[in-house]
Amino acid sequence: MANSTVKPTKAPNDASWLGALCLAPAVIYDTLLFLLPLIFLVWIGFWTVDNYVMVPGFSLANYSDIFQQFFSRSRYGFAMGQSLWVSATTTLLAVVLCYPFAMALAFRVPARWQRLGILLAIAPFWSSYILRLYAWQTLLNQEGLINSLLLQVGLIQAPMEIVFTQTGTRIGLLHYLAPIMILILYLALKNIDTTLLGAAQNLGANRWQVFWRVILPLTRPGVVYSAVFAMIISLGDVLSGIILGGGTGRSVFGSLPLFSTMILNEYAASTNLPRTAALATLLIVIMVLVLLVGNQFSHTES
Amino acid sequence: MPPVLTASPVKTPSDRLLALGASLYLALGFGFLFLPLLALVLFSFEASRLPTLPWTGWTLDWYHALWADGRLMVALKHSLVVSPIAATLATILGFLAAYTLNRFNFLGKRLLSIVMIVPLLVPPLIMGVAFLGLLSRVNLQGKLVSVVLTHGVILIPTAIALITIRLAEISRDLEQAAWNLGATEWQALIRVVLPLAWPGIAAAWLLAFTFSFDEFIIAWFVSGFEPTLPVAIYSFMAFNLDPSLNAMGTIIFVFSILLLVGVELLVLPMLLKGRQQPGSEAG
Repeated sequence: MANSTVKPTKAPNDASWLGALCLAPAVIYDTLLFLLPLIFLVWIGFWTVDNYVMVPGFSLANYSDIFQQFFSRSRYGFAMGQSLWVSATTTLLAVVLCYPFAMALAFRVPARWQRLGILLAIAPFWSSYILRLYAWQTLLNQEGLINSLLLQVGLIQAPMEIVFTQTGTRIGLLHYLAPIMILILYLALKNIDTTLLGAAQNLGANRWQVFWRVILPLTRPGVVYSAVFAMIISLGDVLSGIILGGGTGRSVFGSLPLFSTMILNEYAASTNLPRTAALATLLIVIMVLVLLVGNQFSHTES
Repeated sequence: MPPVLTASPVKTPSDRLLALGASLYLALGFGFLFLPLLALVLFSFEASRLPTLPWTGWTLDWYHALWADGRLMVALKHSLVVSPIAATLATILGFLAAYTLNRFNFLGKRLLSIVMIVPLLVPPLIMGVAFLGLLSRVNLQGKLVSVVLTHGVILIPTAIALITIRLAEISRDLEQAAWNLGATEWQALIRVVLPLAWPGIAAAWLLAFTFSFDEFIIAWFVSGFEPTLPVAIYSFMAFNLDPSLNAMGTIIFVFSILLLVGVELLVLPMLLKGRQQPGSEAG
């Protein structure tokens, strides 16, 4: 059966009732519980709240309010900037750090050990994210293990401030992203036809040339996928920004919260769902823009 | 880091340097990946409240505290109800959809396969707000069933993807043979396709379970007074930062090692199929 030719799906009762019946549950489920909530989300962004009760209608009050304090008071605009900055730097960091790791695993580790290697690399993904962040907090805080070790060895004179800065946020995000990115990049690297690499070498390319002109272009889709993945996760994550970033972590732009953290905290404080929905809708707009940019990048290759 | 290609018998000094660099980098990378896990396990047994060195002695107090406090244990129970049901729901819907997408040709099939993946691209934060908005209108918010229903949405895409990979490996001839021998399409699906798709189904279930078990933000919005484990940990952390959290982390980690063994046996052989050197074991 291994050499059976690929048949056209022509078979008895092609496209039968069975096919429709099997597909229907998932389609109905997604329509009711994915499409409908999303449409509803955008819609209630235009509702208002009166005396803690949502009032259906069509009002631009939420949006005009949000844009009025875009750069003052709540400073949503700054939070968006902080989110984009932290997400972009985290994404860059994650790709630059994970790519060589995946490459060392794919090209340097003996084949029989690679499976164990990739298994270990994705192991953290299977443990609790929030508790990993908690562990990082205990490791990285001023009296934490890492600071006290470095102080004792004499590598630093004063404890490093990592927790409650956006550096902390990035470390937490990186720890979440790394297993998946390593897996994606590893699979992309293993897909390369190794005879191409040999051919490039035989034609006189040195290692850097082989890397820049053959390996990197061939794995470009993998790089783009993993980068878009990292960007989406980073923009939508709240836990790292709160637990390691301390809510309003410091970055080069100052102590500003991430936009996602702001959405969560606003809802926790006000339970004003229409306004939260309006903020979430703005986040969707940002995401779509990011996806469009990512799409642009993945298409220029061909 | 430049690559090294086909093994050449001649080892130049730069080859060795590169090998050394690669090994060092891998060691550093694994160190980064495992450091918090090690800290979690180690400090769950440490007597002192503060997770720092020097080591002050072994204790099981934090496990007792976890048990006595009860809040996290109740939440663990909630999660152990929600996650298996959500995973099962998503796997069943995912299997059926994957079967149709793999087996039949119809108008708009490509578009539909892409659309079915979209829930994975929308951040859980946005879905959390959206779910709460809809569920609160039909009075379904704040219950465990709300978490099950909403988790189902984000779990279906990976279930479809993983099961489709497995279904694509199964020869169509087998199903046709069953028909020729008089089985109805439904019988062939249940008695032939389903058993063959089993590794993909199990892998999909495991992945779905893990996603659901670890999912925070949607559960935070919709679970209300019946928090799942990550939500309870989050509120717990606001008041007590004590090593009970390490103890809970250790329990989850041990649990996840068991899951990992499952994954090693099921998921990786599927993903790495055909990418292994000949001679190495095949799943």
